[in-house]
Amino acid sequence: MTQKTEEILTLFSKSEELLEMFRKGRAFTEELMSENERLRYRIVQLEREKIDLSDTLMREVERLRLENGQMSQKLEFLDSRFQRVEAENKDFAQRYVEVEEQNESLANLYVASHRLHSTLDPAEVVQCIKEILVNMIGSEEFGLFVVDDETSELVLAGYEGEIAQRLDRGRVAFGEGLEGMVAQSGQAFFTEDAGELGEVCACIPLKIKERVVGVIAMYKLLPHKGGLTSLDHRLLELMAGHAASALVSSKLYALADRKLRTIEGFMNLLRVR
Amino acid sequence: MNKKNFLVVDDSATFRQLLCMSLTRLEGITQGDITEAVDGADALSKVRDSQFDLVLTDIRMPNMDGLEFVNKVRTELRRTELPIIIISTKGADEDIEKGMSLGATGYLSKPIQMSKLRELVTNCLQAEA
Repeated sequence: MTQKTEEILTLFSKSEELLEMFRKGRAFTEELMSENERLRYRIVQLEREKIDLSDTLMREVERLRLENGQMSQKLEFLDSRFQRVEAENKDFAQRYVEVEEQNESLANLYVASHRLHSTLDPAEVVQCIKEILVNMIGSEEFGLFVVDDETSELVLAGYEGEIAQRLDRGRVAFGEGLEGMVAQSGQAFFTEDAGELGEVCACIPLKIKERVVGVIAMYKLLPHKGGLTSLDHRLLELMAGHAASALVSSKLYALADRKLRTIEGFMNLLRVR
Repeated sequence: MNKKNFLVVDDSATFRQLLCMSLTRLEGITQGDITEAVDGADALSKVRDSQFDLVLTDIRMPNMDGLEFVNKVRTELRRTELPIIIISTKGADEDIEKGMSLGATGYLSKPIQMSKLRELVTNCLQAEA
């Protein structure tokens, strides 16, 4: 009997243990299910967040793409503007150089005309023209001819170098040679390019209105002077006008002075008698 | 700023006048007096008597040429610091080489270009300062 009771108690105890195990299993399963539920909820939440984030990212990418496009346009605009300003800048620099050259030429012309008209001595005027041709134009060999009205010839009044000396008696008839042709036509003559050694043939008539009173013939430039520029041409023509009037007025003054002295001498002679 | 005094030496009055006008047109240089001399001898006596910041001299002149003038300024007057620019009618020729070996600071060729004159004068005056 006792043995049976013990067996029943043992069985009861084991069933209690089994029940306890089932209870624990149930609690664990419930816990697992609850955790599972929580995780599923979290997954849904993360999915939603991911979608939101992706949308935001897409929007941001779109915005940046737009901004990039605008910036590229701006850059393009600024680049073209920069190119334009740079071109303008170059143009201004070029114009500055041109204006500077023109100023230089005007200053030269002013000095030349001032010197030419500062004397009434024909020899000084010739000397002045020679100085101008060497120092301002850069001519190494040239001849200055004046018109002899009586013989209608050009007479060599001043020169530099050997070429002008070769002329027969220093005289050239109107219409003969380059000097004579320029004197006859009254038109200046310039060659396009200077030679290797700076030879250049420029012939400029000295005119008072349409009357030719002389000719400047340039045979050779200084070696470092590459050639005559259009500005040199203009300067030479303007200077030739001043040289012509200076030559004629100095000759007239010298003639008048000589006549005056002759008359004065004659008057003195009469007074003495 | 100190005023700069120049001495221009050339037997040609036209060129002296041209050079004086060019010097007065130089930007950034405060002009003092510009004195003219007709040849080397005249220039030498002026250098002896007055103070100049820069001398521009032609090479070929009567009485005393530019090369002799440079030589005398450097050896007799012992003015080694005075900048002297020699001006030649022809380009890079023997005269320029000789002038530079005698102590010239720089050289220019006729006809003078304003840009070259400005550059050389500015360099000479800066070196002197």
